[in-house]
Amino acid sequence: MISYKNWLKIVGVLFVLPALLHLFVFKLYPLIEALKLSFFKYDLMSPPVYVGLLNYQNLWDNPLFHQSFFNSLIYMLGVSIPEWFLALALALLLNRPILGRPFIRLAYFIPIAMSQIVVAVIWKFMYHPEGLINTIIGFIGIDRINWLSSEQTALASLIMIGVWRGIPLFGIIYLAGLQSIPKDYHEAAMIDGANVLQRFFYITLPLLLPTILFVIVISLISSIKVFLNPLVITGGGPNGSTKVLPYFIYETGFTYFRMGEAAAASTIMFILIFFLTLFFLRVLKKGDI
Amino acid sequence: MKTSFFLRTLLSIVTILGIFVTLIPFFWMLSTSLKTGSEVFDLPIRWLPSVFQWQNYSLSFSRAAFDIYFNNSLITGIVVTASNLIFCSLAGYGLAKFDFPLRNFLFKFVLCTLMLPLEIILIPTFLIVQQLDLLNTLFGLMLPLVVDGFGIFMMRQFIRDIPNSLIEAARLDGCSEFGIFWRIILPNCKPALGALALLVFRDNWDQFLWPFILASKDSLKTFPLGLAQMESVDSTAYQEIMALAVVGIIPMALLFIFFQKAFVRGIALSGLKD
Amino acid sequence: MTKNPCIFKIIILITFVLNGISSSIGQGLSWWEHSNPPHNNYSKELVSEWNTKNPTAKVEYEFFAMTPYLKKLTTALSTRSAADVFTVTDSILPSFTSKNMLAPINPTLLGYKNLDEMKKAYLPNSLDGYIFQGKLFAVPVIATPLSLYINRKHFIEAGLDPDKDYPKTWEDITKVGKKLVKTDGNKITREAFDFPMHSSTWTMWYFNAMIRQYGGEILDPSGKKCTVNSDAGIQAMKTRVMYSQENKISDPTVSFATNALPAEDLPKGRVSMFITHAGSVAQFGPEVMKDIKVVPFPQANPKRTVTPLYGFAIAINPQISESQTKAAHEFIKFVIKDPKAWYTNTAYPYPAANFLDLPGIEDARKNKHLDVFLSDIKVGKYVQRSSQILEINEAIHRAIERVVLKGDVPKSSLDQACKEIDTALAQQ
Repeated sequence: MISYKNWLKIVGVLFVLPALLHLFVFKLYPLIEALKLSFFKYDLMSPPVYVGLLNYQNLWDNPLFHQSFFNSLIYMLGVSIPEWFLALALALLLNRPILGRPFIRLAYFIPIAMSQIVVAVIWKFMYHPEGLINTIIGFIGIDRINWLSSEQTALASLIMIGVWRGIPLFGIIYLAGLQSIPKDYHEAAMIDGANVLQRFFYITLPLLLPTILFVIVISLISSIKVFLNPLVITGGGPNGSTKVLPYFIYETGFTYFRMGEAAAASTIMFILIFFLTLFFLRVLKKGDI
Repeated sequence: MKTSFFLRTLLSIVTILGIFVTLIPFFWMLSTSLKTGSEVFDLPIRWLPSVFQWQNYSLSFSRAAFDIYFNNSLITGIVVTASNLIFCSLAGYGLAKFDFPLRNFLFKFVLCTLMLPLEIILIPTFLIVQQLDLLNTLFGLMLPLVVDGFGIFMMRQFIRDIPNSLIEAARLDGCSEFGIFWRIILPNCKPALGALALLVFRDNWDQFLWPFILASKDSLKTFPLGLAQMESVDSTAYQEIMALAVVGIIPMALLFIFFQKAFVRGIALSGLKD
Repeated sequence: MTKNPCIFKIIILITFVLNGISSSIGQGLSWWEHSNPPHNNYSKELVSEWNTKNPTAKVEYEFFAMTPYLKKLTTALSTRSAADVFTVTDSILPSFTSKNMLAPINPTLLGYKNLDEMKKAYLPNSLDGYIFQGKLFAVPVIATPLSLYINRKHFIEAGLDPDKDYPKTWEDITKVGKKLVKTDGNKITREAFDFPMHSSTWTMWYFNAMIRQYGGEILDPSGKKCTVNSDAGIQAMKTRVMYSQENKISDPTVSFATNALPAEDLPKGRVSMFITHAGSVAQFGPEVMKDIKVVPFPQANPKRTVTPLYGFAIAINPQISESQTKAAHEFIKFVIKDPKAWYTNTAYPYPAANFLDLPGIEDARKNKHLDVFLSDIKVGKYVQRSSQILEINEAIHRAIERVVLKGDVPKSSLDQACKEIDTALAQQ
């Protein structure tokens, strides 16, 4: 007879099993294949040839890979960090009782409801030297900026699009988090004489911490995987300044027929996101944000 | 809440301004869907078509089998969403409320599966579907998407917050383990389920690369594929692409409105508690 | 049974023969293309015509989004799930043949005695681009040059005669450009001339032609070393950048990656002269084309005329059976039987040798600039053949971006490109 404790363990495993099996087949197996492939030379048509660490060596020697790596790092942080704060601001804004709130929320949802292909085309046009963005900043007296044709501003242009799309997404998540904080806490604090700022820092934020951590992890992971916008809007340019890692991987594997090298780059990308996520989780669990 | 009238007005103005900024691309999209081809990229930017080209909508749908593409996206969206809801909540429950060996390791594994770039798992996934003889079937298209770590992660977070006492009480009452899941757990995370449904459906609706590589028959293409193939080097009718995209927002918007109440209250109670 | 043994034998023989025939044409074929609206519609027409005539050997036609089309083709060939017949662009041919991704084409199955005879049916150089190691690997259906499109109205306004004063050399462009450009202080409000800058493929098309005009080439004859940083290359680059840097008739930040369609500025009158392909005639439409004149691609040296040329061709999957391959040849023969129909339906020139003499083509020669396109095709050369061509495209595109957008010195930018290209070539 199995002990009750062990029976529960089995039950737990059973609950997890279907999903886990699926992940083993469709995620673990490809992951292992990719890792294996990173030690081979594979041009998609002839059988793979073992080359040891050559792919990693080539990547190390390739300034374009370094550029992609740093582009991704900058993009990731450039998109995620503003999202953490601005999305929270949005949520705080939308948490207030406003007339027509459901419609306002729907309005803020629209950027993520729009198909990514269309978003790319529209923003590309808005960034035209004589386009909308320059017209707007022209009103406040800023000279025309060549958003997409200058190495300094191209990546920033893409980052702005990422943030535009991310704020509503994470804003909605934060909003839910805010609404879960029981009103009693705030009321009790108000009775004790706490002002808005104090309530925010001592009640809202600590109770929101779990949601914040969730947002941080998901935003980091999803921002590093972005590559449609660089592909469609700037083609990775100018001079490779917007070629992010997934784009580099896609190109190396499918355009240049160097699948092994692409696999190696994927492994490095995986390591990057893994440790970056770990870093932020550690920092925030220790610190008192 | 005692906030000054001034502050309240300021915040309202900021909110409305924010909406405009958020929606500018959408407005341009809307107006472009009613322009003629030569008006699309007029500079300075043209907000109003000179004559509203309502026929862009019917015309664009006639360019390719968009009724099929739309349908496929809907079907795959519903199935993938439903299966994620089921399997991810099952797994989330197991990870949240049961203590078996390697449990934490498995949870970290689930997180790791989120960190893989799609490009590199494309071909192995294709090969699996090919081995199963499911190429060019909707089932083959959906199979790899049926479970995703995101949902497992989310449900696990959510379910952790459900008080253990509820579960213990149900067990004492003689409820079966699955019965507990069905009658205690699920009802207590309806909001999370709503949120997950929305996010999974949205993600699936926008999926391009995987369906593109897999679908070699017109009858299997999904909506984003249809949009993408409207582009060519010359004579791309962007006004028609915009019209299609406007229609494409409708399912998303409907779903959002439907789930708004549940989902907003829902994600609330989750969060990372490690 | 024994009443009439002869008839019996004949029946068996006929059944046998019929079986043989049907087994070789009874399977049907699949044909893939990238999305390209006027062209796809004609392809679909051809397919339904074929299907009516060959109900037992129907062709299934599918087309896919243009930009990632190559990825899909590659993945499909890699997983042995590609169509029997597929359309390809000329430049990827060496990449594909070096990996056995294309089946050799048999000219006899297309109705020619041999490859040499087939070459005579095409414009001199247009078939060469598809021939490797003596074998043909794809059959062209479209060939288009890059030519110079000029805005008649702008010319006349500036006191120039578009029919007499149009530029023939790169220097000419500067001369007329200075009269055409419109400025507002330091800013250019209307460019006189610009190059397309939205894709590395297009960049290679015109840049390869330019470097050839100056007597150089992208790679050395062995194809293993980069020669872009030779004197010819540096001169080509200097020409490329002089309009924006010295002569101030061009503003690259305006046309760079800011238009979804590469030649959008021209019909909008934002640039007076632009380099683009034959397909733009259909893109702009007859209204706009009334004010546009197409002239041959500019030259550096009238004694050494070279123009950019690219094309689409149909290739056969090497992984299919012999009988399927034969059927594929049959189908291709059917597809190419009417060059004039190709042109009329797709608005792209067809590289047949006698194209300009085909009956009914006179109208197009007069009104659709066909003469210019064909004359450019005749001195056109396909892009340098290399299995690493896609990587080379990117390296050169970046080199041009550095010089044109950042102001880098041509020599150092090309040196960097050569470093990248040599590394890529070494990995062959």
